[in-house]
Amino acid sequence: MSEPFHPLVKRLLDGELSLSELPPELVAQGAEALRLLGAVDRAPVSLPAALEARVMVEVRRRARSRLRRAWRWFVEPLDVEVRLRVRPWAVWGGALAAAAALAFLLARPTASPDGARSVEAAARDSVSVRFVLFAPSAKHVSVAGTFNQWDRDAAPLMRAGASGVWTLTLTLPVGQHQYAFVVDGERWVADPAAPGVDDGFGRQNSVVAVIAQGARTL
Amino acid sequence: MGLTEEATDAEVVRAVLAGDAERYAVLVRRYRDRYARYAARMLGSIDAAEDAVQDAFVRAFEQLAQCRDPDKFAGWLFLILRNRCFAEQRRRRREGRSLEPGDEAVASPDRPDGAVVQADRTGALERALERLTREQREVFVLKHVEGLSYEEIAQLTGATVASLKMRMHRAYDRLRELLKEHA
Amino acid sequence: MRGAFVAVALLAGVALRLAAQEDVATRLDRRVPPAVVREVEELASSAVARGLPVEPLIQKAIEGGAKGVPAERVIAAVRALAARLEAAAGALRSSGIESPAADVIEGGAYALGAGLSADEVAELARSSHEPHDPGLTLRVAATLAALGVPPKTTLELVRDMIRAGRAPNDILSLPAQVQAGMARGATPAQAAQGLGRAAAHRPPGRPPDRIPPGQAKPKPHKP
Repeated sequence: MSEPFHPLVKRLLDGELSLSELPPELVAQGAEALRLLGAVDRAPVSLPAALEARVMVEVRRRARSRLRRAWRWFVEPLDVEVRLRVRPWAVWGGALAAAAALAFLLARPTASPDGARSVEAAARDSVSVRFVLFAPSAKHVSVAGTFNQWDRDAAPLMRAGASGVWTLTLTLPVGQHQYAFVVDGERWVADPAAPGVDDGFGRQNSVVAVIAQGARTL
Repeated sequence: MGLTEEATDAEVVRAVLAGDAERYAVLVRRYRDRYARYAARMLGSIDAAEDAVQDAFVRAFEQLAQCRDPDKFAGWLFLILRNRCFAEQRRRRREGRSLEPGDEAVASPDRPDGAVVQADRTGALERALERLTREQREVFVLKHVEGLSYEEIAQLTGATVASLKMRMHRAYDRLRELLKEHA
Repeated sequence: MRGAFVAVALLAGVALRLAAQEDVATRLDRRVPPAVVREVEELASSAVARGLPVEPLIQKAIEGGAKGVPAERVIAAVRALAARLEAAAGALRSSGIESPAADVIEGGAYALGAGLSADEVAELARSSHEPHDPGLTLRVAATLAALGVPPKTTLELVRDMIRAGRAPNDILSLPAQVQAGMARGATPAQAAQGLGRAAAHRPPGRPPDRIPPGQAKPKPHKP
């Protein structure tokens, strides 16, 4: 067991005082403390250049499958798309336009997801949604759900002052999404304020319904 | 429109989101080493840091659409890396790879902790840092290795300056204790 | 017109089959144990062959992996979901929807999982004429049922709202409104029935007084 450092020595370590400002009886302790700090390894760390190559391999893989997914979304719900946006008397025009757009996509296999996304954006706006959790004794809170592949590290909430409330605003597409809060990295907590559904693993997911901007909310 | 290395983070992020995944390499090159030291000190080895940083970059790409403010990519990447480091520390705890309090000498060369063996440098202090709590270790690394102020650390991690100082001061005492045992 | 869509659907089908396999391994790599990857790959091939969506299976596996659920449990959940997708597709097809879209099948699967019957799923899909998206309608119905609204009441409420000419946004708002009713002391059934009556009496386009449009939807949690 050893004695704790004197509070003034701690302030010395924090950089708020200099050694010469310490009372004489604390100078020895102060010097010891500074030697401790002096042993800290501050050498910059350089990671191998190969890291970039490995990251880009993964990035390209995900970009490719994302392209395919965007393509699939565009292709499959075509009939839904027409129903949503086209009046009966314009059905021919709508069908031709949709077929033409698809032909465009097919002819250009390296089409950027932008093409698919503009259709997606036309059908679905994205809206800001604020997630809030009261968890005063938590050290970390994040939200994970269908909108971010259940990645509990991707959307950390920030503390709103000292009130114990954690918040995060995300932009989500219109529609229904499932999610849960992750407290301290391990505890999955449903949102007490939202409807819950069985997640198939014996727990509950929360459901948020994102409404197009401009519409009334509850 | 060519994106050179001088493009801002926001410009690169927007280009990537518009479909040019190759541009992401600009961000990887730019930030590859910035948080490497932090990760190395949090996880105890450069190898572990490499894994964590690589993983963080990939996750950041996957979630790029969720990065609310493309100008703040760096800070956001840091948070992802930080969580990744915590996850790794949790995993080690679960697998029983970190030391139990009350273990013998802090710096013991034949200790079976694979992760730490690699970055064996200043030794005693590094070992002692591992014995701190995650929060203590982080505030110590951010302040005394990365050189951030308490205010900057508070902004980065969401903790208050007061609680950071409290953790740090406990860390000072704990380090003194651990290093005295070793000496 | 139909011809164009059928041709398009065939082309898309080929691309999908090729994409499915690589997708599973890529998406699940390092997120779930290898046993789960193998199982999902098998289920995915089978799903594609039967015209069922693969994405929900992948998402469910990713969810299980992220939550640290043991492999056997993840496999069981994904298998159960695959079965529900198949049942939903069957219900939709037998109700007259020849090629139900992936989104609609998925919605149907959620609805079945929440306790609605195949007939109710079919009926909801049939009722969701434009501008309503049956995939969305089914998901909302599933959430209502999960809240405790009896399936029959759920079906009636949604159908009445659509018949009354309400917008898709109003359908999306139903679960929150039922919750609000429950917070005031009503049972789920009562809350839902109250909304159904209100829908029948109020002309479309005149919403009750609420928070002005354009504001982010707050979700406060009272301690």
